[in-house]
Amino acid sequence: MVSFLEVLMTHRYIKMGVTAAVLALAFAGLMWSTLRDGTEYFKHVDEVMANRAAWEGKALQLHGYVVPGSIMVKPSTLEYKFKVQNNPARSGESGTIVDATYKGIVPDTFKDEAEVVLRGRLTSQGFHTDPNGVVAKCPSKYEEKATGAGT
Amino acid sequence: MATLGTFLLLASFVVCSYSAVATVVGTRRGSRPLVESGIGAFYLITALMTCASAVMVNAFLTNDYTIKYVVHYSDSVQPLFYKITSYWGGLDGSIMFWVFLLSIFGSIAVYVNRERHRELIPYVVATISVVQMFFLYLMVVHKNPFATYVAGAPQEGEGLNPLLQNYWMAIHPPSLYTGFVGMTVPFAFGIAALITGHLDDSWLRAVRRWTMFSWLFLSFGLTLGMIWAYEELGWGGYWAWDPVENAGLLPWFTATAFLHSVMVQERRSMLRVWNVTLVIVTFFLTIFGTFMTRSGVVQSVHAFGQDTTLAWLFTGFMVAILSFSFGLVIYRLPLLKARNELDSWLSREAAFLVNNWILLFSAMLVLFGTMFPTLSEAITGERLTVAGPFFNKWLIPVGLVLLGLTGLGPLLAWRRSTIKNLVDQFFWPAAGGLVSLGAALALKIPVWSAGLCFALCGMVVATVVQEFWRGARVRQKNTRTDLFTALVGLVGRNKRRYGGYIVHVGIVLIFFGFAGNARKLDQQVLLKPGAETTIGRYTVRNNGIKVADDGQKQMTTAYLSVFVNGQQVDGLYPARWAYRRHEQEPTTEVAIRRTVAEDLYAVLGGFNLADQSATLELHVNPLVNWIWFGFGVMAIGTGIALLPERSFAFAVSRLPAEAATTVGLLLALMLLGGTALTAQSRSAAEAQSGSVPGATGMQPGMGGSEDTRSSFYARTPFEKEMQHEIVCTCGGCGHQNLAECRKDACVVAHQMRGELAALIDQGKSRDEIIQAFITKYGSEEMLGAPVDKGFNRLAWLFPYAAGATGALLVGFAAVRWSRRLPARADAAVAADPDLEERLDDELRDLD
Repeated sequence: MVSFLEVLMTHRYIKMGVTAAVLALAFAGLMWSTLRDGTEYFKHVDEVMANRAAWEGKALQLHGYVVPGSIMVKPSTLEYKFKVQNNPARSGESGTIVDATYKGIVPDTFKDEAEVVLRGRLTSQGFHTDPNGVVAKCPSKYEEKATGAGT
Repeated sequence: MATLGTFLLLASFVVCSYSAVATVVGTRRGSRPLVESGIGAFYLITALMTCASAVMVNAFLTNDYTIKYVVHYSDSVQPLFYKITSYWGGLDGSIMFWVFLLSIFGSIAVYVNRERHRELIPYVVATISVVQMFFLYLMVVHKNPFATYVAGAPQEGEGLNPLLQNYWMAIHPPSLYTGFVGMTVPFAFGIAALITGHLDDSWLRAVRRWTMFSWLFLSFGLTLGMIWAYEELGWGGYWAWDPVENAGLLPWFTATAFLHSVMVQERRSMLRVWNVTLVIVTFFLTIFGTFMTRSGVVQSVHAFGQDTTLAWLFTGFMVAILSFSFGLVIYRLPLLKARNELDSWLSREAAFLVNNWILLFSAMLVLFGTMFPTLSEAITGERLTVAGPFFNKWLIPVGLVLLGLTGLGPLLAWRRSTIKNLVDQFFWPAAGGLVSLGAALALKIPVWSAGLCFALCGMVVATVVQEFWRGARVRQKNTRTDLFTALVGLVGRNKRRYGGYIVHVGIVLIFFGFAGNARKLDQQVLLKPGAETTIGRYTVRNNGIKVADDGQKQMTTAYLSVFVNGQQVDGLYPARWAYRRHEQEPTTEVAIRRTVAEDLYAVLGGFNLADQSATLELHVNPLVNWIWFGFGVMAIGTGIALLPERSFAFAVSRLPAEAATTVGLLLALMLLGGTALTAQSRSAAEAQSGSVPGATGMQPGMGGSEDTRSSFYARTPFEKEMQHEIVCTCGGCGHQNLAECRKDACVVAHQMRGELAALIDQGKSRDEIIQAFITKYGSEEMLGAPVDKGFNRLAWLFPYAAGATGALLVGFAAVRWSRRLPARADAAVAADPDLEERLDDELRDLD
């Protein structure tokens, strides 16, 4: 009477298959767990605000435009408060607007009307931006000639 | 001129197609003249592309604004150097530059191998021609760099993106392109071997060197990219897992895998399918990387813009490459059968195999992470992104395993390792690892992942030292020379192996630098004038902000003093530059105080001129400089592995006494070069961060007598730099600096230059001089803006240039000797053929 384990170990292909399956499962599990806390949703303001409760607390990359005149800095600190709207300021229609906070150094391109992507989380008080989480694109007239560092 | 350029590109395209067709048809029909004409046409492409490049550079130099490309990437005030580098600064030009390089490499590869691999050459030519045709086609129909304005050409260009106006950036793309383009040559040989069925190992010999060469430049390009990110982008790090960076890393992984697995095929005739596959995949990834960065498929801070037509063209080309190449591989599978099987998992070949899997896995993982946003959007409709944490979580353990294998692999024997030989081999490396781990723990470094990294570094170094030591001992015993000569002979006998070990040491140093991230410190702070902040062991004080203008850009500079234990050690001058016509995108000029142990890195994030306050971002980055240094070591190792076969011939066999001495001397010189290298990078570092002790040391012998002291002209670069930095206080010249205020009547400038010269003669450093002037003239009014540090940055290249020159000299001398020696050595040395044989045997065992 041969035990199950013995059969398993004597047949080369079964051995290889089991090893491969274990490895694949381990890999899938690891991949799933890292992707779960490593990924961020890339969303526009409208999409998020349409179902605000569902998005609160999730890691987000929020895309929008800085509402003109909304940027405020606490004097002598690096604490920023500003508003972000869904549509470009020049389009006439703002779309939904969300309050945002940030503490730290902002890029030079961060100014009124700038197109921004904010990394952070939505809370009941507004969008809380992570440290170094502000990516601002150049004003549109420079966009078309945005050149790159080559590869 | 533009018409000529377009014509040259068209002509290249036509010649390319002829070359591809003629070589293939010629071989099929057995018509040698037809093949020869095809090869001739292939050389002609190089000539045509050189002319086209000349036309392009000329257009930049003469400010030919009828050409759109020139308008986009240049303007009249741009320095000459950047006018030339603008050639590859944009999308269209970079494609042209790509073809230019490929035509040169292709011609060299074909010329060198024309006799040795006669049967492969026609298909090599055809393959490279087809690749060139694709890129030429892109230019001719879609992205012509010579496109002109139909009417109303502008009078002035828009200027190169300020971020690209940096020395590193000027040499980083060509280096990376060299690496990328160079990978086409191995691919072409692989395809030729598959088509002709000459699948013995000879095609591998032809491409080994090319792969190594391209790998070196790829590594160099990646390193330069890191240095550029570190010095120019100002976020305090060097690698952000940006898609464009990843694009360069992908082929690097597979090329590294190939360089290792090729050894298994040579020794054991295994992994033949695998090697061909790696060559194809590497080439594919270079094309894929180009596609990613140029088509806008992935979003990146520094990708070229979005371009759908280009994306489709590239996709078609990539599909064609994959189906054609792998179709050939499948067709030739019967010829690619391995002649041996893996004997044991405790063997060198198994270690290589695991190393290959991991490298390929890393490549696929990075590819997956990079394409994830695009993939997830295509599948779920949601754009999900993965960021740094994802890559770090995966690649830190993977990197550590690779580092471990770097140490383990060389200790395992080919075929099968016995327990006895494992104990024998592993004792010292294991001890080295444990000692490093102990040291790391003693310094309270966390075990995961920095501590483990240090331990593995220790182990790998111990392995390499043991390999060198044992090899040299055996050789010393057999040749009865001194240990040193034996060592040289050992390296010469197996350059690839021992050069490879030196590369491993370089890798260790790089990992050592990476591990420094564990102790990174960051701080963002707003400093009023006179206010101080503390980070790590440093205290930083804001002395105020100044604005200056040099015609091309406006420079706002913060003057910071750095104190350690209450002693001022340095001054840092981070700045923001706003270039003309690029006012909306000012560049950050970071200031770095470099030391061997750590960098203090300061960024001027924002400023308020009214109250002179500065918003600063400060970082302390431990061990960063080891990464750059590690690359230097890696380059030297690769250089040794690349040396021509006979260059060490003199040391290998018939060794006359005087040759040994000379080699010793030469090597000692190189070692000196090595120490000079560290010293130089240190002094370059100090030059960057403000004080130039090296320059002051030059004073004696350069004529520092009383009358030259008050003369108009600077005697040394350092004095010139200082003259540019200090402003004349006479009031009549409108704050010109000392170098400019040259009116005879200006007694003040004359006197100040004299004082400066005197201070320099006393051996004062830059900061001391500035302090002295501030004390005397009472304010910082007389300080101009710090000069552009570009020149000092070039100084960083110097040690590497010196190292390369040294290596070249040694190689040259070696070639000379090996030519001259046989005649007279025959009589002297053939003395003991037995000994020779035994030695050969022993060394073979060592392998």
